[in-house]
Amino acid sequence: MTATTSDVSIRPLDELDISDIVRIDEKILGSYRPEVWERRIGYYLRRDPETSVVAEADGRVVGFMLGEVRSGEFGLEEPTGWVEVLGVDPECRGRAVGRRMAEAILEHFRERGAKSVRTLVDGENEELCGFFNSLGFQPSSLRAFTRPI
Amino acid sequence: MSVRTTTLPKPYHDAVIRWRETFLPDYDLLMESWEKFFPNEPKFELCAYRQLGMCTEIECGDQKGKPKFTRAADMPAEPAQHLFGAIRAQASTEFGSIQQHRLTLARAQEEEEQFWILRMMAEELRHGYQMLHLLVEDDWSCVTQESRADLVEGILSMNTGSHILGAFNVDFDSFIDNVVFCGLIDRVGKYQLAMQKVSAYQPMAESMPQMLREEAFHLAAGVVPMRRWVTAAAKGSTFITMVDLQKAINKWVPRALEMFGDERGGGTNVRFGLKPMKNAEAQKQYVEEIGKLVRDLNLRYLRARDEKLTHGESETVLDRILAGESVGGIHREDLLHLPHAEYFRRRGMPAFKMVGADGEVFTDLRAYQQHLVRTLPDAYRASRDFREYMDALTQVAEGTMKAEEAAGKMPSLRRVGGACPCSKAVRWMVDEPSSSAA
Repeated sequence: MTATTSDVSIRPLDELDISDIVRIDEKILGSYRPEVWERRIGYYLRRDPETSVVAEADGRVVGFMLGEVRSGEFGLEEPTGWVEVLGVDPECRGRAVGRRMAEAILEHFRERGAKSVRTLVDGENEELCGFFNSLGFQPSSLRAFTRPI
Repeated sequence: MSVRTTTLPKPYHDAVIRWRETFLPDYDLLMESWEKFFPNEPKFELCAYRQLGMCTEIECGDQKGKPKFTRAADMPAEPAQHLFGAIRAQASTEFGSIQQHRLTLARAQEEEEQFWILRMMAEELRHGYQMLHLLVEDDWSCVTQESRADLVEGILSMNTGSHILGAFNVDFDSFIDNVVFCGLIDRVGKYQLAMQKVSAYQPMAESMPQMLREEAFHLAAGVVPMRRWVTAAAKGSTFITMVDLQKAINKWVPRALEMFGDERGGGTNVRFGLKPMKNAEAQKQYVEEIGKLVRDLNLRYLRARDEKLTHGESETVLDRILAGESVGGIHREDLLHLPHAEYFRRRGMPAFKMVGADGEVFTDLRAYQQHLVRTLPDAYRASRDFREYMDALTQVAEGTMKAEEAAGKMPSLRRVGGACPCSKAVRWMVDEPSSSAA
């Protein structure tokens, strides 16, 4: 692909994006999981379709970023934007697709009254950590804890 | 973003609650089951939402650039009358479609899908409430002598078959209709809502954003079950087959196309600043969108039939099959298709043309009737809607009535004026004169 950043457009998620998101997820993970995305996208559409976005280039979906504004969790009473799921078509990396989606979703979070945005990233995923660092995200005092059950 | 939440004055609010108790008796079950099906999601609230901070200048039409109207009394007489009729009719059909959905709601095979539709019905109730809010909050004495109480009572007293402008009578035959209706008819509503978001009447424009947010899930409540059903069908399930789905698509797509209004019209709404697009333009975008829906369903079907197919391979296989080739034992007729735009039409430019689902032209009335019988759901044949269409078609074919005359006699499912987007916004309407196409 030769398109530049300016050729990428961002719009709110809709239910017809399911197939494209399944396709991108399959490219990234190598597994076909339509049932997972049908349920998950139904959830985000119910919550607020404008706080989840897709990126389009050359007439097709090349990325998605799903999130929502919540409050009252983890001791965070103020409305907080959460970036929860992110995927970019591997063929379209390097075109600032993720950055464009993040800018759009953060704007929606602000409109919904959020004062901050949070996400959880595997610390060993350097690419993803680098991506969020480049957007101005910093490690938070909120720690992730886990244990097997 | 700032949203103002209001409720109707108590007598009107209570009237809606009483209506709900009669026509949406599963509402309490929905509330009791909310956490099970929609965990941690804000509970449904019956109220009107107005989004503040929206554009205050008229965005299209003859008055573009001038301040939007905040009161009906400030509008010129003709647009005000048009708007009033649209809101009232919209309100009536928001409530009316709940009456449709409830008839087959209990036939759902999957509890989750049933509760998705039930939630959608509750939100349609809110859309009707939103329209009542527009009628009650403003002073409409410039266009009607009816009191607010009479307006509300008139709308809430309607029942299936007695809604504004005629019969609201396309019955649901099974839960397939609940779902396909959401996927196809609510999608028309999405277009209307999006267009109404620029309405020259500010309260209407401010009513649209929340309705659009809710409508997004209504479409998913149609599309996701359809995706699941084609998957099950591909794996041999006999509960809901591809043939069943195709027939339901054939039943609703013609009505959906007619909901945009006559292909030659829509100019009046644009001139009044009530919508930004004429009918044909909006209809064209809609057809492209449902074309993608059908293609996605076919791809889902193919990959469920052959789990070794990759996405790219399934695209190639689909194109080969659609071109007429048989691949892996799958033929073109095994897949879903959009019916031709002139198939089974009773309104607009193609009204009463004898065009088949694949675009084939019939010259023999009997052969066309048999074609319709083969391509539409079996239960639908027993409906009043189908009988009236067949009667009118016969008269047109025999030359005892002109197609334009027959079209004028047939009520059509339409979203009037573009108020509500949802299925409930659908009503039977008469086309505006063709002169409005200018």
